[in-house]
Amino acid sequence: MEWTGLSPDDAREKLEQKDKSKRDKRMSLTEAVKEFVKDGDHVGVGGFVNSRPPVAIAHEIIRQGRQDLSLAFQSAGLVPDYLMGAMAIRPDHFSISRLEFAYVGHEYAGTSSMLRYMTENNKIVIEDWTNYNMSTRFKAGSMGLPFLPTRSGLGGDIEKCNRSQYIKCPFTDRDILLVPACHPDVGIIHVQEADIYGNCRIKGQTFTCPEMAMASKNVIVTCEKLVEHDVIATEPTRTSIPYFAVDAVVELPFGSFPGLCHDIHYYGKTHLEYYKGLTNGFRKGVVEPLREYFDKYVFGVKDTDGFIGLMPYEQLKYARQVESRSLHLQQGLQEPGA
Amino acid sequence: MTEYANDFSEYATDFSPSEMIVTAGARQLENKKVIFAGTGLPMVGITLAQLTHGPDIIPVFEGGAVGPTLNRSLPLSVGDSRTTSKANFIQGLNSSFELTQRGFIDVGFIGGAEVDPYGNLNSTMIGNFPENYMNPDIRLPGSGGAGDMSCSCTYTILIVQHELRRFVEELQYMTSPGHLDGSPDARKNAGLQGKGPRRVITTKALMGFDDETKRMKILATMPGETVESVQAATGFELLVDENLYEFEPPTKEEIRLIREDIDPTQIYCKR
Repeated sequence: MEWTGLSPDDAREKLEQKDKSKRDKRMSLTEAVKEFVKDGDHVGVGGFVNSRPPVAIAHEIIRQGRQDLSLAFQSAGLVPDYLMGAMAIRPDHFSISRLEFAYVGHEYAGTSSMLRYMTENNKIVIEDWTNYNMSTRFKAGSMGLPFLPTRSGLGGDIEKCNRSQYIKCPFTDRDILLVPACHPDVGIIHVQEADIYGNCRIKGQTFTCPEMAMASKNVIVTCEKLVEHDVIATEPTRTSIPYFAVDAVVELPFGSFPGLCHDIHYYGKTHLEYYKGLTNGFRKGVVEPLREYFDKYVFGVKDTDGFIGLMPYEQLKYARQVESRSLHLQQGLQEPGA
Repeated sequence: MTEYANDFSEYATDFSPSEMIVTAGARQLENKKVIFAGTGLPMVGITLAQLTHGPDIIPVFEGGAVGPTLNRSLPLSVGDSRTTSKANFIQGLNSSFELTQRGFIDVGFIGGAEVDPYGNLNSTMIGNFPENYMNPDIRLPGSGGAGDMSCSCTYTILIVQHELRRFVEELQYMTSPGHLDGSPDARKNAGLQGKGPRRVITTKALMGFDDETKRMKILATMPGETVESVQAATGFELLVDENLYEFEPPTKEEIRLIREDIDPTQIYCKR
């Protein structure tokens, strides 16, 4: 078995050696990415499709430039599309060599042109799984197990293009699928709240962020809001990720934008669809607008403040106002530019 | 299957193909059942069923929300915060698929770019598999949760665009297993649970599967269609049910609900 990321033994060894102390882990995103994302790393992408995607972390990785990253996630849209877009524009500066995934796309907003470009031009190695297969792989990693059995992702062709194994269940005598643990070198996760030690509170669906955090060698967390440790300690059952799994805490409001962050802001649909349109154009040979996008919104800014600073206030305001409201209270709100 | 109580006697004369699909989908759903819904038309269909004959339908979304009420406008994703309003239980992907694997999900709605006579679906790639797996002619988004729902929901309803190139005798890649090769116990022998696809809904027909051969058969033709026109858009031979009927068009009330209450901005239901 060829492990991508860490093997279960290595993951265990690294964790035994890790400083698990309860210390202030605040740092800038620039520092966090510099310290915890290396060339060749296996990167676990948190969130789900365009919900709580770690967009700010992805942009910083692109700005700093890395080579031969591999990505592992269930379903994602903006993050792989930004990373593949950057590789398409400046392969000498940034590249991905491999994707382990179940879905790349934007659901209502359509399929991923960057996934099409990269695969149809044979620029990337892929390994298909189902969503539950990938969730199970992170869960196995989080449990310290080399694999877990599952009844998903078998019977068709998916199992033929990944490292899962059929076995006969020793108890039922029926076929069952085993999926190997996934231990990323680094998990990149955006959450609503964290304290300075890295205790995280996720609001709404957790997706597979807690499992990914526990499975990864290192974890970078960006949060909408830094909260007092006392807030965490008064209701610790609400902690989704415990501090000793986290290595860097970066307070970054709008760190998921133009994705959605539950209870904080809805999709930045106008900007999301704008970027999506540029990737569609790129696949059809219209290269310059995508290059100009990266020059302006990613390479042309120092950090996330710069990126969000380029967003029209009306778009941010609308995304905030429309989130978590009933239809009744949404009446009269109009997406700017839509 | 639900006996659709025809509370609304007046049929609409003006409706779009997607409104027809949504109506057909809604009418297949039994009240008080747990429905795993993908993004798009199934969300509209579930809501329509809830507003008509199925007020106690329990939606589950793979992002992790169980039993929500979609009262914040239609979600744009199965991980959308809008799938969580008034939910009874919210966890994550492992949780929602563990529910499925355990057997809590009665019906799953899935789709694909290609479907074969046994209801197997392709949403991964167009091209030669396995030779060109890494560089296909057309790369599709991938399984997402469809491959999981197809494996473990008690049964599934498929929604596929009815075109010759999509209804094929042999898939280029099997993402979501249906009745596999149609042989007896094929699903069980492959390690699958659930009974596989029960219905296929398209703009041309409502279809089911033969009990013996597990091949697709026409149960009803959609308004304006005939067995011949449905067959002409299908790349394999369809069986025809002995009780073939013409599907009732959407009622005026169903169309009103879709247009005014459920999808007023035409996110999924184009007119």
